Amino acid sequence: MPAPCPPYRQRCAASGPRRAAAGSGLAALLCRWMVAAMLALLALASGQARADVQLLEQALVASETADGQPDWDLSHLVSLPDDWANIPGQRGVLWYRLALLPPQRPAPGELYGLYIERACNVVQVWLNGQLVHDGGRFEEPVSRNCHRPQLVPLPAALLGPRLNTLDLRVKGYSLDEVSSRERAGGLSAVEFGRYEVMASHHARRLVFAIRLPEMMSGALVLMGSFMFVMGWFNRAQSYLAYFGALLVGWSLLLARLWLSNTTASNWTLELALAALLGFITLASVQFLMRYGGRRLHWLNIALPLQCLLLPATLLAAGPTRLYTTTGVWKALLAVQITTAALCYLADVRRQNRQRFWLMALLLGLLSLSLGVSFAAQTLPLDARIGYVAELVPALGFLALGLVLVQQYGRAFQSTEQNRADLEVRIHAATAQIERNFTQLSELRVEQVTDRERKRIAADLHDDLGAKLLTIVHTSDNERISTLAREALEEMRLSVRGLTGKPVKLIDALGDWRAEVVSRLSQSGVQGEWSAPPDDDVPQTLSSRAYVQTTRILREAVSNIIKHSGASQCSVRCVIADGDFQLVIQDNGKGIPTELDGRLDKGHGMASMKGRAKQLQGQCLVESGPGYGTVIRLTLPLERHTTGA
Amino acid sequence: MNNILLLEDLPEIRAWLKSLVMQVFPTARITECSRVQDALHQVQALRFDLALCDLGLPDGSGTDVVAKLALVQPEALSVVVTIHDDDEHLFPALQAGAYGYILKEQSRELITEQLHRIAQGEPPLSPSIARKVIKYFASMAKPQANAMPEVSLTERESEVLLRVAKGFTLPEIGVQLGLSRHTIADYVKQIYRKLNVSSRAEAALEAQRLGLFRR
Repeated sequence: MPAPCPPYRQRCAASGPRRAAAGSGLAALLCRWMVAAMLALLALASGQARADVQLLEQALVASETADGQPDWDLSHLVSLPDDWANIPGQRGVLWYRLALLPPQRPAPGELYGLYIERACNVVQVWLNGQLVHDGGRFEEPVSRNCHRPQLVPLPAALLGPRLNTLDLRVKGYSLDEVSSRERAGGLSAVEFGRYEVMASHHARRLVFAIRLPEMMSGALVLMGSFMFVMGWFNRAQSYLAYFGALLVGWSLLLARLWLSNTTASNWTLELALAALLGFITLASVQFLMRYGGRRLHWLNIALPLQCLLLPATLLAAGPTRLYTTTGVWKALLAVQITTAALCYLADVRRQNRQRFWLMALLLGLLSLSLGVSFAAQTLPLDARIGYVAELVPALGFLALGLVLVQQYGRAFQSTEQNRADLEVRIHAATAQIERNFTQLSELRVEQVTDRERKRIAADLHDDLGAKLLTIVHTSDNERISTLAREALEEMRLSVRGLTGKPVKLIDALGDWRAEVVSRLSQSGVQGEWSAPPDDDVPQTLSSRAYVQTTRILREAVSNIIKHSGASQCSVRCVIADGDFQLVIQDNGKGIPTELDGRLDKGHGMASMKGRAKQLQGQCLVESGPGYGTVIRLTLPLERHTTGA
Repeated sequence: MNNILLLEDLPEIRAWLKSLVMQVFPTARITECSRVQDALHQVQALRFDLALCDLGLPDGSGTDVVAKLALVQPEALSVVVTIHDDDEHLFPALQAGAYGYILKEQSRELITEQLHRIAQGEPPLSPSIARKVIKYFASMAKPQANAMPEVSLTERESEVLLRVAKGFTLPEIGVQLGLSRHTIADYVKQIYRKLNVSSRAEAALEAQRLGLFRR
């Protein structure tokens, strides 16, 4: 947008970056910018210099005869601007003859110009019988220059010293043949002056009538197709597609202002323009409904039907009743769009107050500018107001488009954010599940193993244990009974090794002490037990180590009771250098050396040593006749402790 | 000890136990059972002074009989006779109200002596059982312990338990604490009783809690 906004610019710039963050901020900014642009356009359009300009407002008008020449005999005087829309049946080619006074002090070599604000549809200019300007085709397809101002350079050499004759040949259509009053034939007042003055007038008008609409068309097509594609692939936001269609439709509508030479006849083009109104209605009504959150199925059928019905009725009415038929349709379509807009406003008012005001403002501005541009055609308003009003809707659409894109972007961003959050949560949940599963399966394995061990243990107890017990208590043979009892004890320890959990060394010491001391005292041997204080024994024994040590200790005590004949026995437990040492000493007769080896089995020394070896420890026996026996069991604690 | 219940499923062992009991209590009338159901019927029908119950029986656990006896005949002495020496098997029976246990494979002399002691009110207590009892009373919920002050352990009882857990024999503890063997035995009996009472109370509370949940 090239128009600056001096009174607003500073504020625009200052508040821009801060406001742009919020959606409403952006919308408000756009609104304000639009208003500013409109005011600036009006100011620019009205600022005209009148110096040294000849305004030609009177003309003789004559029809063209069959040979292509005007019949000046039947001419009459009209004042310009001459609007054919006010004269029923005025169509075809008319000649206007204007009197042009030469400039008061013509400088030789000076270039003068003729500026024709409106010559609809196309004009040729003769100066003193010489063709000096050809505006376009006079045959179908006739050039469409209703909105295009004409600039004719007139060299001073061509101007006579007194009165000059200026003939303007104009081809136009009657009001009946066009769908809009703005395209009925006519000729505005003609200005004559220095070329650069005329050129500046022409250039200014060209900007408003042609260049800006061209730019707007381009911008609307771009944004419209972008939004259409966006809405098309995102059915949840189908209103974007309709909005895109609306923008594209509007850009085509704007093309009527700047498109001059086409290959289609006036009738075809007028028909297409009228049909375009139906399409625009469809797009805007659907957009408003869907954007407001309503989906009316009958509209999906009714609106396209109307789009077909509209050109059909125009065709049926024929080319000579185009204006009337289109007028009826325009009223109908305006009612539809207004209803849709009011519906939308009612919907959005319930959902979002802030957006309601924004949209109410935008829609109000749109309807106002449409009303103004319509009024500019019928009322004697300055044409420039009409042009500005023509551009405002386009600006409004662009602003609304930006707001929609911004909303879409924000929604997309929040969706992305949600997706990322979800992903993180899924990751966490998956990890948790995997952890749980691992724990569960470990637990399961542990449970199954534990249950199986318990089953084996129960079987051993119930079957083997019961039978051994029966042997213990029913055998007459003391030796067999003892063996069975020992077997039973062995079995129990095995079961314990199988099922048992790690035992605290301090607890193991308690168990051993109770057993050793009570057995010795029952046998009349004076027992002595020494162990480190509780605080020095934080270790834990594996259940295997506990069971094996219990067996060794039990065997040793049994030996003392049965064989040694000792009266005293001391058991010392020591923890040193990571080793657990058990020293069992008696004052008995010792193990005879000659028995050491062959008959050793009776004393179980070999099995004691074997068991110690299993635990990566050692069992030393020192004995001599009369010296008693010392058994030293040393176990490395590191290997048999499971945690302290 | 006039009426004695003997629950044992193995006939040879039952016969052996019977002869043993008759040796210790010559005048007693012995009722023999081989199944839990029979024993439960007998407990309903007859009064017993002493019950010797095996744990692993074909139709259930001797613990049920011990529990029933503690309920209907609190003055009767229940003793568990088993080949299981681990506290996992014994502790539930002690909680149910047994006043001691005898390991079956022990020699006739030893069992005879233990029976004598039990009859005189000197139940045995092994270190591992003592540890389990300590743990049990320590783990009892505070409000629950407060609700039942009569079943929380006294300082002396705790002291005795701690010493048993460390492997000291009851006579040794008596010497250490300057108490008679009889007093120590009384403590042990109290410990058994409190274990039973608090276990029952706990079970009742638990049942109530479950009932509340179901409602």
